[in-house]
Amino acid sequence: MPAAVPRDSGRAASVADSDALLVRRAQGGDDVAFAEVYRRHVGRVYAVCLRLVRERGRAEELTQDAFVRCWERLGQYRGESAFGTWLYRLAVNVVFEAGRKDRRRQDRIVTLADPALVEPERDPPVRAAGLGIDLEGAIAALPRGAREVFVLFDIEGYSHDEIAEMTGIAVGTSKAQLFRARRLLREQLGA
Amino acid sequence: MTLPPRDDDPQFRDLLDRVGKLPRSIEPERDLWPGIKDRLSKREVRSAKWQWWVVPLAAAAVLVVAIGIRSWRGGEAGSWAVLRLAGRPVVGDAHLAGSGRIRVGDWLTTDDSSRAMIAVGDIGEVEVQPGSRVRLVQARATEHRLALDHGVIAAKVDAPPRLFFVDTHAGTAIDLGCAYTLAVDSAGSGLLRVTAGYVEFQWQGRRSIVPLGASVATRPGMGPGIPVVADAPAALRAALASFDFAAGGATAVRRALTAARAEDAVSLWHLLERVDPAQRAAVFDRLANLFPPPAGVTRDGVQRLDSAQLEAYWKVIKRAAWRREILRSIGKRDGGSGTR
Repeated sequence: MPAAVPRDSGRAASVADSDALLVRRAQGGDDVAFAEVYRRHVGRVYAVCLRLVRERGRAEELTQDAFVRCWERLGQYRGESAFGTWLYRLAVNVVFEAGRKDRRRQDRIVTLADPALVEPERDPPVRAAGLGIDLEGAIAALPRGAREVFVLFDIEGYSHDEIAEMTGIAVGTSKAQLFRARRLLREQLGA
Repeated sequence: MTLPPRDDDPQFRDLLDRVGKLPRSIEPERDLWPGIKDRLSKREVRSAKWQWWVVPLAAAAVLVVAIGIRSWRGGEAGSWAVLRLAGRPVVGDAHLAGSGRIRVGDWLTTDDSSRAMIAVGDIGEVEVQPGSRVRLVQARATEHRLALDHGVIAAKVDAPPRLFFVDTHAGTAIDLGCAYTLAVDSAGSGLLRVTAGYVEFQWQGRRSIVPLGASVATRPGMGPGIPVVADAPAALRAALASFDFAAGGATAVRRALTAARAEDAVSLWHLLERVDPAQRAAVFDRLANLFPPPAGVTRDGVQRLDSAQLEAYWKVIKRAAWRREILRSIGKRDGGSGTR
């Protein structure tokens, strides 16, 4: 029997490390652990950013913003929810804060109370074999307000209350936008 | 979810169904991490450059924080820092509000909804799960020792081997540079599962070395059983349990040899030392057939329990087990990530 077994694990994050361990290490300033946190979650964060803003370059910027914000606010994460849940919510908030800043910069105020006001800005959906339409393309072609609520409700699984809190719209507006998004998708499906 | 009245046509339901199957994860086409890392470092540099007065202030703050952390983690001799994670853990006879210290001799108790984190001096941390009772036995630089009466702990230690120990009713878990979970039930029986590195479990000279991905059962008065890898066949597990804890004897050994695969070399290697000498040759033959020994390791040497030969054999077995577990973990993660 060997007297001592040398270790095979060093400072690098182990594949067996749980999110909780990695986050605790990152909270202590361990950037190697934070890099592993990034690697594990970047796909989900990027996906929600991309679906909300539609542009790949902008989604990449916002993904980076989200992880920078995450690093800055790691100390506020207390483990009351799964880390992923906390991070994705933070990412959604980053997207909407950026959107609000952009709109202020353009000095253009659009109210989301009436979904019809944001009807334009639709691109023709890309067709694909099988379903008849490219789903991602069809979702991307939805008007902004409808798209945001659809992505958050139907894909990300947030409730209308949560969406209202994150986006600043009323719960009723969120429901109306969802109904509208589904109607528009149905029209595209039937087209 | 209730669909609006007009949304019940099959075509639209099909669409929603397909939406539900869209990937939740999309990998960006380029690696965004370098940009993030760059921004994090630039923020620090910019803030230092533009606000010169922040430098001494930050230095003072860092000093205070460092002193605070040192004080929190281990500044007080004979005690470790402890942090409430959830619920109302009890240290000694007082509820832990936020953070505090556990002193040598103190018990930390968690109820069904409480969790706590113990800083193991400066070398690691132990998360105490709900329904557990843990005592700090020794808090010296050369010996960090807890006793787990019952419950579950998850330990992670970043230090040279044999500095951190956890006593249980069935023996002692000895850190060899690792992370692991250890569960002990009310009868004192336990299960140790290793998530990084290696752990040795010892009771009255009976030792099991548990590598990454493997686990070992323990029993009071009997010590550790034979470690098994995560995907060990049920027949092998049953045979080893019978051999370890139910006096299964030669019959259990034969069943174990039949059920073992090459991936179970860790188990067979441990079996070499524990079987009767009359059975050792059969165990070696089966092990050598599944996992050929390195040069210099002979049947006679193992039959004599030559420590150098056993160690040489173990080195190649543990290396293969470690590599296999890493690849298995990566494969499992990639296969289940839903990325595209």
